[in-house]
Amino acid sequence: MTKQPKVLGILDILLLILVPASLVWIIFFTPMEAVMGNVQKVFYYHVAAAWAGMLCFILAALAGAAYLHARRLQWDWLSLSAIEVGVVFSLCAIFSGMIWARPIWNTWWVWDPRLTTTTIMVLIYLAYFILRSGLTTPEVQARLGSVYAIIGVLTVPLTFFSIRLFRTIHPVVIATGSTGESAFNMSPRMLVALFISLSVFTLLMADLVWHRYRLAKLQSNNRKR
Amino acid sequence: MKPWTRYLYMIWLIVSKDIQVEWRGKQGVPVMLVFALLIVFLFNFALQLSPELQAGLAAGLLWVSLMFASTLGLNRSISLEVENKALDGLLLAPMDRSAIFFGKSLSNLFFTFMVALVLLPVFSLLYDQNMLHLNLLLVIFLGVSAFTSLGTLLAALSIQTRTRDVLLPVLLYPLALPILIASVEASRGILSGQSKFELQSWLFLLLAGNFLFYAAGILFYGTILEE
Repeated sequence: MTKQPKVLGILDILLLILVPASLVWIIFFTPMEAVMGNVQKVFYYHVAAAWAGMLCFILAALAGAAYLHARRLQWDWLSLSAIEVGVVFSLCAIFSGMIWARPIWNTWWVWDPRLTTTTIMVLIYLAYFILRSGLTTPEVQARLGSVYAIIGVLTVPLTFFSIRLFRTIHPVVIATGSTGESAFNMSPRMLVALFISLSVFTLLMADLVWHRYRLAKLQSNNRKR
Repeated sequence: MKPWTRYLYMIWLIVSKDIQVEWRGKQGVPVMLVFALLIVFLFNFALQLSPELQAGLAAGLLWVSLMFASTLGLNRSISLEVENKALDGLLLAPMDRSAIFFGKSLSNLFFTFMVALVLLPVFSLLYDQNMLHLNLLLVIFLGVSAFTSLGTLLAALSIQTRTRDVLLPVLLYPLALPILIASVEASRGILSGQSKFELQSWLFLLLAGNFLFYAAGILFYGTILEE
């Protein structure tokens, strides 16, 4: 039985404080949005979850590339862990978006390009799990899984570009201005809160991926015995 | 022979082999064609399309039926090789594995494009609008090329799983989404008479997809099929 690294334990405790703290910050210390009111506060976690999910998928592809280069199973554990955590974060982003959409757009779901493509992105990674479960040895799982994780990330910019060409009802946080999209006008205090939740979610993601990585390692040790 | 011409010759050998197999057996393209037509007629009932609705949907229907039909061809293309261990022979041949990828995806492109060439006049009849534009053919060529190159790559992945070819659509369709979006939008634009300038960005997207998937094929096909 390998012991849990000290840094990971510290990170756990830190997050036990930081996550509730960020929630308190968002509820009490951010300005009320003029039109949408309280429900707009979903925004901070919604964006942060989407961000953490995206980060996970990029991490998974990088780890996949590292596996194909070095052929060490450790990289594959990292890749798999990142994708599992990424799917959870993406689902959080989708569901928190639905909670936000219900009072604002008056429906849980619209067939908007942004929403649809995000959901299909989750499906890409669900297919990743099916692919892995259909393969027999850890080496083949790692090799083919890595290739799929890399191709999966390659298509994301294409999809991103394709939905920019549509008109969408979804607000754009990183607006270019020239296209006249409905960008969010955020006050400085909103930006601070967004920055806080992004940081907390990034830490949370690192923590969860690390724990999942350790689980993969323990599973592999167990299989060897 | 110079290495470069040898490489192209290898690709040509694989393409001509696939075409010869298809010509003698006639098992692939006819099935794809009938399947594509079936989808069109099934959609007509399932969605209860009124005549006015149908005209606007022709581009979307064309692409959905093409992609479904193409998936059949993609699966067949790789399972033919696996069935009689012909793949081992291919892998043993003294050439770069990416040549196998190019040969396979080009023959898949050829078969799907054949299906599209038959579908277009049929669509023109059924939806009462002329769909035989040169520009539309270009869009179909680019879209199908991107789709089949990605599909050839993923078919080599899915054939190695326990479920074999069943997995291919699940892997392929979500990844092919940007190609589907760009192809449908570009085709719809052409059919509704938009200028080339307005379609530029969709065509650019299709070119980028082609570039990306062929590059991925060169990089990863050997890795996927390694023993």
